[in-house]
Amino acid sequence: MHELGVLNALVHTVEGIVREEGLTEVEKIVIEVGELSGIVPRYIEQCYPAAVYKTFMEKTALELVVVPGIVKCRECGRVFNAAANDLYCLDCGGQNLEILEGNDMIVKEIVCR
Amino acid sequence: MNGFKVLQVKQSVFADNDRRAEELRQELKKQRVFLLNLMSSPGAGKTTLLSRTIEALDGKLKVGVMEADIDSDVDARTIESFGAKVIQLHTGGMCHLDADMTRQGLEALGTGDVELAVLENVGNLVCPAEFDTGAVKNAMILSVPEGDDKPLKYPLIFSVCDVVLINKTDVLPYFDFDMEKCAANIRMRNPKAKIIPVCARTGEGIDAWVGWLCDEVTKWKKP
Repeated sequence: MHELGVLNALVHTVEGIVREEGLTEVEKIVIEVGELSGIVPRYIEQCYPAAVYKTFMEKTALELVVVPGIVKCRECGRVFNAAANDLYCLDCGGQNLEILEGNDMIVKEIVCR
Repeated sequence: MNGFKVLQVKQSVFADNDRRAEELRQELKKQRVFLLNLMSSPGAGKTTLLSRTIEALDGKLKVGVMEADIDSDVDARTIESFGAKVIQLHTGGMCHLDADMTRQGLEALGTGDVELAVLENVGNLVCPAEFDTGAVKNAMILSVPEGDDKPLKYPLIFSVCDVVLINKTDVLPYFDFDMEKCAANIRMRNPKAKIIPVCARTGEGIDAWVGWLCDEVTKWKKP
Protein backbone atom coordinates (compact mmCIF):
# COMPACT_ATOMS: atom_id res chain seq x y z
CA MET A 1 0.00 0.00 0.00
CA HIS A 2 2.86 2.32 0.89
CA GLU A 3 4.62 1.75 -2.42
CA LEU A 4 1.37 2.23 -4.37
CA GLY A 5 0.93 5.71 -2.88
CA VAL A 6 4.52 6.54 -3.76
CA LEU A 7 3.95 5.37 -7.33
CA ASN A 8 0.79 7.48 -7.66
CA ALA A 9 2.89 10.50 -6.67
CA LEU A 10 5.46 9.44 -9.26
CA VAL A 11 2.85 9.27 -12.05
CA HIS A 12 1.70 12.81 -11.20
CA THR A 13 5.27 14.10 -11.20
CA VAL A 14 6.07 12.50 -14.56
CA GLU A 15 2.76 13.82 -15.93
CA GLY A 16 3.86 17.34 -14.99
CA ILE A 17 7.20 16.91 -16.75
CA VAL A 18 5.50 15.50 -19.85
CA ARG A 19 3.22 18.54 -20.00
CA GLU A 20 6.03 21.05 -19.41
CA GLU A 21 8.33 19.49 -21.98
CA GLY A 22 5.58 18.83 -24.52
CA LEU A 23 6.43 15.14 -24.82
CA THR A 24 4.29 12.73 -26.81
CA GLU A 25 5.58 9.37 -25.65
CA VAL A 26 7.43 8.09 -22.62
CA GLU A 27 9.21 4.85 -23.40
CA LYS A 28 11.03 4.36 -20.12
CA ILE A 29 11.63 6.02 -16.78
CA VAL A 30 14.75 5.50 -14.71
CA ILE A 31 14.13 5.80 -10.98
CA GLU A 32 16.72 5.92 -8.22
CA VAL A 33 15.63 4.32 -4.96
CA GLY A 34 17.78 5.01 -1.92
CA GLU A 35 18.46 2.14 0.47
CA LEU A 36 17.47 4.42 3.36
CA SER A 37 14.31 5.76 1.71
CA GLY A 38 12.07 3.16 3.34
CA ILE A 39 10.87 2.22 -0.12
CA VAL A 40 11.33 -1.40 -1.17
CA PRO A 41 12.45 -1.79 -4.80
CA ARG A 42 10.83 -5.22 -5.17
CA TYR A 43 7.44 -3.84 -4.08
CA ILE A 44 7.83 -0.89 -6.44
CA GLU A 45 8.27 -3.35 -9.30
CA GLN A 46 5.25 -5.37 -8.19
CA CYS A 47 2.97 -2.34 -7.74
CA TYR A 48 4.08 -0.53 -10.87
CA PRO A 49 1.66 -2.19 -13.36
CA ALA A 50 -1.29 -1.37 -11.07
CA ALA A 51 -0.16 2.24 -10.58
CA VAL A 52 0.20 2.98 -14.29
CA TYR A 53 -2.89 1.00 -15.39
CA LYS A 54 -5.03 3.19 -17.68
CA THR A 55 -2.64 6.13 -17.41
CA PHE A 56 -0.40 7.63 -20.10
CA MET A 57 2.41 5.51 -18.58
CA GLU A 58 0.71 2.17 -19.16
CA LYS A 59 3.32 1.17 -21.74
CA THR A 60 6.24 2.95 -20.07
CA ALA A 61 9.01 0.62 -18.93
CA LEU A 62 10.47 1.00 -15.45
CA GLU A 63 14.16 0.78 -14.62
CA LEU A 64 15.19 0.91 -11.00
CA VAL A 65 18.62 1.90 -9.77
CA VAL A 66 19.32 1.23 -6.11
CA VAL A 67 21.42 3.93 -4.43
CA PRO A 68 23.52 2.74 -1.44
CA GLY A 69 22.58 4.21 1.96
CA ILE A 70 25.75 6.02 2.93
CA VAL A 71 26.01 7.74 6.31
CA LYS A 72 28.59 9.50 8.43
CA CYS A 73 28.77 8.74 12.15
CA ARG A 74 28.40 11.96 14.13
CA GLU A 75 30.36 10.41 17.04
CA CYS A 76 33.54 9.21 15.31
CA GLY A 77 33.26 10.47 11.75
CA ARG A 78 33.35 7.10 10.00
CA VAL A 79 31.57 6.94 6.65
CA PHE A 80 29.88 3.62 5.90
CA ASN A 81 26.89 1.85 4.34
CA ALA A 82 24.18 2.03 6.99
CA ALA A 83 21.73 -0.28 5.25
CA ALA A 84 24.25 -3.13 5.36
CA ASN A 85 25.06 -2.47 9.02
CA ASP A 86 21.60 -2.07 10.53
CA LEU A 87 22.12 1.67 11.21
CA TYR A 88 24.94 1.07 13.72
CA CYS A 89 28.43 2.55 13.33
CA LEU A 90 31.03 -0.12 12.55
CA ASP A 91 33.65 1.54 14.74
CA CYS A 92 31.92 2.99 17.78
CA GLY A 93 28.42 1.44 17.64
CA GLY A 94 26.90 4.93 17.57
CA GLN A 95 23.44 5.50 16.13
CA ASN A 96 23.71 9.25 15.65
CA LEU A 97 24.18 9.21 11.91
CA GLU A 98 24.12 11.87 9.23
CA ILE A 99 22.70 10.58 5.96
CA LEU A 100 24.93 11.48 3.01
CA GLU A 101 23.23 9.50 0.27
CA GLY A 102 20.37 7.08 -0.38
CA ASN A 103 17.61 8.82 1.55
CA ASP A 104 15.17 9.51 -1.27
CA MET A 105 13.49 8.33 -4.43
CA ILE A 106 14.25 10.32 -7.55
CA VAL A 107 13.15 10.39 -11.19
CA LYS A 108 16.59 10.27 -12.78
CA GLU A 109 15.84 10.02 -16.49
CA ILE A 110 12.93 9.89 -18.85
CA VAL A 111 13.41 8.21 -22.22
CA CYS A 112 10.90 9.94 -24.42
CA ARG A 113 9.97 11.71 -27.63
CA MET B 1 17.17 5.21 -30.73
CA ASN B 2 14.08 5.69 -32.98
CA GLY B 3 13.84 9.37 -32.23
CA PHE B 4 13.80 8.84 -28.50
CA LYS B 5 15.81 11.17 -26.34
CA VAL B 6 16.95 10.87 -22.74
CA LEU B 7 15.74 13.65 -20.51
CA GLN B 8 17.85 14.13 -17.36
CA VAL B 9 15.28 14.93 -14.71
CA LYS B 10 16.73 14.47 -11.19
CA GLN B 11 13.49 15.35 -9.45
CA SER B 12 12.02 13.76 -6.36
CA VAL B 13 9.11 11.45 -7.16
CA PHE B 14 7.16 13.64 -4.73
CA ALA B 15 8.00 16.85 -6.65
CA ASP B 16 4.46 17.32 -7.98
CA ASN B 17 2.88 16.86 -4.55
CA ASP B 18 5.51 19.11 -2.92
CA ARG B 19 4.66 21.87 -5.38
CA ARG B 20 0.91 21.55 -4.78
CA ALA B 21 1.50 21.55 -1.04
CA GLU B 22 3.51 24.76 -1.25
CA GLU B 23 0.75 26.41 -3.32
CA LEU B 24 -1.82 25.42 -0.70
CA ARG B 25 0.37 26.81 2.11
CA GLN B 26 0.68 30.15 0.33
CA GLU B 27 -3.10 30.34 -0.10
CA LEU B 28 -3.63 29.52 3.57
CA LYS B 29 -1.19 32.30 4.48
CA LYS B 30 -3.32 34.78 2.53
CA GLN B 31 -6.50 33.48 4.14
CA ARG B 32 -4.80 33.56 7.56
CA VAL B 33 -5.73 29.97 8.22
CA PHE B 34 -3.28 27.85 10.19
CA LEU B 35 -3.25 24.20 9.14
CA LEU B 36 -1.84 21.64 11.55
CA ASN B 37 -1.09 18.12 10.32
CA LEU B 38 -1.42 15.70 13.23
CA MET B 39 0.15 12.29 12.78
CA SER B 40 0.75 9.19 14.88
CA SER B 41 0.38 5.42 14.88
CA PRO B 42 -3.13 4.06 15.38
CA GLY B 43 -4.12 4.28 19.04
CA ALA B 44 -1.53 6.85 20.15
CA GLY B 45 -4.34 9.20 21.16
CA LYS B 46 -4.82 11.67 18.32
CA THR B 47 -8.57 12.06 18.80
CA THR B 48 -8.41 12.22 22.61
CA LEU B 49 -5.58 14.76 22.50
CA LEU B 50 -7.46 16.83 19.97
CA SER B 51 -10.59 16.79 22.14
CA ARG B 52 -8.50 17.98 25.11
CA THR B 53 -6.90 20.66 22.96
CA ILE B 54 -10.27 22.04 21.81
CA GLU B 55 -11.42 22.02 25.43
CA ALA B 56 -8.28 23.84 26.61
CA LEU B 57 -8.51 26.44 23.83
CA ASP B 58 -11.90 27.32 25.32
CA GLY B 59 -13.07 29.23 22.26
CA LYS B 60 -9.86 31.29 21.94
CA LEU B 61 -9.45 30.02 18.38
CA LYS B 62 -12.09 28.96 15.91
CA VAL B 63 -11.23 25.34 15.22
CA GLY B 64 -12.09 23.14 12.25
CA VAL B 65 -11.11 19.49 12.14
CA MET B 66 -10.71 17.07 9.27
CA GLU B 67 -10.77 13.48 10.43
CA ALA B 68 -9.05 11.22 7.94
CA ASP B 69 -9.72 7.53 8.28
CA ILE B 70 -9.85 4.60 5.98
CA ASP B 71 -13.47 4.12 7.10
CA SER B 72 -16.12 5.05 9.73
CA ASP B 73 -17.00 8.36 11.38
CA VAL B 74 -16.50 7.53 15.07
CA ASP B 75 -13.65 10.05 15.45
CA ALA B 76 -15.64 12.83 13.80
CA ARG B 77 -18.55 12.25 16.17
CA THR B 78 -16.20 12.41 19.16
CA ILE B 79 -14.64 15.69 18.01
CA GLU B 80 -18.04 17.17 17.20
CA SER B 81 -19.19 16.53 20.75
CA PHE B 82 -16.42 18.91 21.88
CA GLY B 83 -17.91 21.73 19.88
CA ALA B 84 -15.56 21.97 16.90
CA LYS B 85 -16.59 22.12 13.29
CA VAL B 86 -15.67 18.76 11.82
CA ILE B 87 -15.78 16.72 8.65
CA GLN B 88 -14.87 13.10 8.06
CA LEU B 89 -12.62 12.25 5.13
CA HIS B 90 -12.51 8.70 3.87
CA THR B 91 -9.28 7.87 2.15
CA GLY B 92 -10.80 4.84 0.42
CA GLY B 93 -8.07 2.51 1.57
CA MET B 94 -5.20 4.90 1.01
CA CYS B 95 -2.85 5.10 3.95
CA HIS B 96 -2.13 8.82 3.86
CA LEU B 97 -3.38 12.18 2.61
CA ASP B 98 -1.60 14.22 -0.03
CA ALA B 99 -1.84 17.94 -0.81
CA ASP B 100 -4.78 17.58 -3.22
CA MET B 101 -6.83 15.49 -0.81
CA THR B 102 -6.09 18.04 1.92
CA ARG B 103 -7.22 20.87 -0.34
CA GLN B 104 -10.49 19.04 -1.07
CA GLY B 105 -10.92 18.46 2.66
CA LEU B 106 -10.43 22.15 3.44
CA GLU B 107 -12.95 23.09 0.75
CA ALA B 108 -15.50 20.67 2.19
CA LEU B 109 -14.83 21.94 5.71
CA GLY B 110 -15.09 25.58 4.67
CA THR B 111 -12.34 27.75 6.15
CA GLY B 112 -14.08 31.14 6.09
CA ASP B 113 -14.77 30.96 9.82
CA VAL B 114 -11.77 28.83 10.80
CA GLU B 115 -8.49 30.09 12.33
CA LEU B 116 -7.01 26.73 13.23
CA ALA B 117 -7.65 23.82 10.86
CA VAL B 118 -6.45 20.45 12.06
CA LEU B 119 -5.90 17.51 9.77
CA GLU B 120 -6.02 14.33 11.78
CA ASN B 121 -4.05 12.16 9.41
CA VAL B 122 -4.47 8.40 9.00
CA GLY B 123 -2.88 6.48 11.87
CA ASN B 124 0.38 5.42 10.25
CA LEU B 125 4.04 6.32 10.74
CA VAL B 126 5.24 5.60 7.22
CA CYS B 127 3.24 7.12 4.35
CA PRO B 128 1.99 10.36 5.95
CA ALA B 129 5.61 11.35 6.54
CA GLU B 130 6.39 11.27 2.83
CA PHE B 131 3.55 13.45 1.64
CA ASP B 132 3.59 17.17 2.37
CA THR B 133 -0.07 18.05 3.00
CA GLY B 134 0.45 21.81 2.78
CA ALA B 135 0.25 22.13 6.55
CA VAL B 136 1.99 25.04 8.29
CA LYS B 137 3.31 22.75 11.01
CA ASN B 138 3.55 19.00 11.46
CA ALA B 139 2.89 17.48 14.85
CA MET B 140 3.13 13.88 15.88
CA ILE B 141 2.12 11.94 18.93
CA LEU B 142 4.26 9.16 20.29
CA SER B 143 2.57 7.34 23.15
CA VAL B 144 4.50 5.79 26.02
CA PRO B 145 3.42 2.16 25.34
CA GLU B 146 4.95 2.38 21.84
CA GLY B 147 8.44 2.59 23.33
CA ASP B 148 11.30 5.08 23.49
CA ASP B 149 13.02 3.49 20.48
CA LYS B 150 10.32 4.44 17.95
CA PRO B 151 12.41 7.32 16.52
CA LEU B 152 15.07 4.77 15.55
CA LYS B 153 12.57 2.54 13.77
CA TYR B 154 10.59 5.26 11.95
CA PRO B 155 13.19 7.99 11.40
CA LEU B 156 11.43 9.85 8.58
CA ILE B 157 8.30 10.87 10.47
CA PHE B 158 10.39 12.23 13.34
CA SER B 159 12.54 14.19 10.91
CA VAL B 160 9.55 16.01 9.35
CA CYS B 161 7.86 16.99 12.65
CA ASP B 162 8.00 20.42 14.23
CA VAL B 163 6.67 19.13 17.51
CA VAL B 164 6.54 15.67 19.10
CA LEU B 165 4.00 15.10 21.86
CA ILE B 166 4.85 12.20 24.12
CA ASN B 167 1.40 11.11 25.23
CA LYS B 168 0.04 8.83 27.97
CA THR B 169 2.60 9.91 30.58
CA ASP B 170 0.21 8.58 33.25
CA VAL B 171 1.23 5.01 32.39
CA LEU B 172 5.00 5.69 32.63
CA PRO B 173 5.31 3.66 35.88
CA TYR B 174 4.14 0.53 34.05
CA PHE B 175 6.47 0.71 31.05
CA ASP B 176 10.24 0.67 30.56
CA PHE B 177 10.07 4.00 28.82
CA ASP B 178 13.03 6.32 29.33
CA MET B 179 11.91 9.90 28.59
CA GLU B 180 15.49 11.21 28.24
CA LYS B 181 16.53 8.38 25.97
CA CYS B 182 13.44 8.99 23.85
CA ALA B 183 14.23 12.71 23.58
CA ALA B 184 17.83 11.88 22.60
CA ASN B 185 16.56 9.46 19.93
CA ILE B 186 14.25 12.13 18.54
CA ARG B 187 17.03 14.76 18.50
CA MET B 188 19.30 12.43 16.55
CA ARG B 189 16.73 12.50 13.75
CA ASN B 190 15.60 16.06 14.26
CA PRO B 191 17.55 18.46 16.50
CA LYS B 192 14.94 21.21 15.99
CA ALA B 193 11.83 19.28 17.09
CA LYS B 194 10.06 20.62 20.13
CA ILE B 195 9.30 17.79 22.55
CA ILE B 196 6.35 18.10 24.95
CA PRO B 197 5.35 15.27 27.33
CA VAL B 198 1.56 15.28 27.71
CA CYS B 199 -1.28 13.20 29.01
CA ALA B 200 -4.58 13.69 27.24
CA ARG B 201 -6.34 11.75 30.00
CA THR B 202 -5.10 13.71 33.03
CA GLY B 203 -4.40 17.00 31.25
CA GLU B 204 -0.68 17.02 32.11
CA GLY B 205 1.35 19.17 29.69
CA ILE B 206 -1.72 20.30 27.75
CA ASP B 207 -1.09 23.94 28.72
CA ALA B 208 2.43 23.81 27.28
CA TRP B 209 1.14 22.25 24.07
CA VAL B 210 -1.75 24.67 23.65
CA GLY B 211 0.66 27.55 24.41
CA TRP B 212 2.98 26.41 21.63
CA LEU B 213 0.05 26.05 19.24
CA CYS B 214 -1.41 29.50 20.01
CA ASP B 215 2.04 31.11 19.53
CA GLU B 216 2.44 29.44 16.15
CA VAL B 217 -1.05 30.47 15.02
CA THR B 218 -0.35 34.08 16.07
CA LYS B 219 2.97 34.08 14.16
CA TRP B 220 1.29 32.68 11.04
CA LYS B 221 -1.51 35.24 11.06
CA LYS B 222 0.94 38.15 11.02
CA PRO B 223 1.26 39.49 7.46
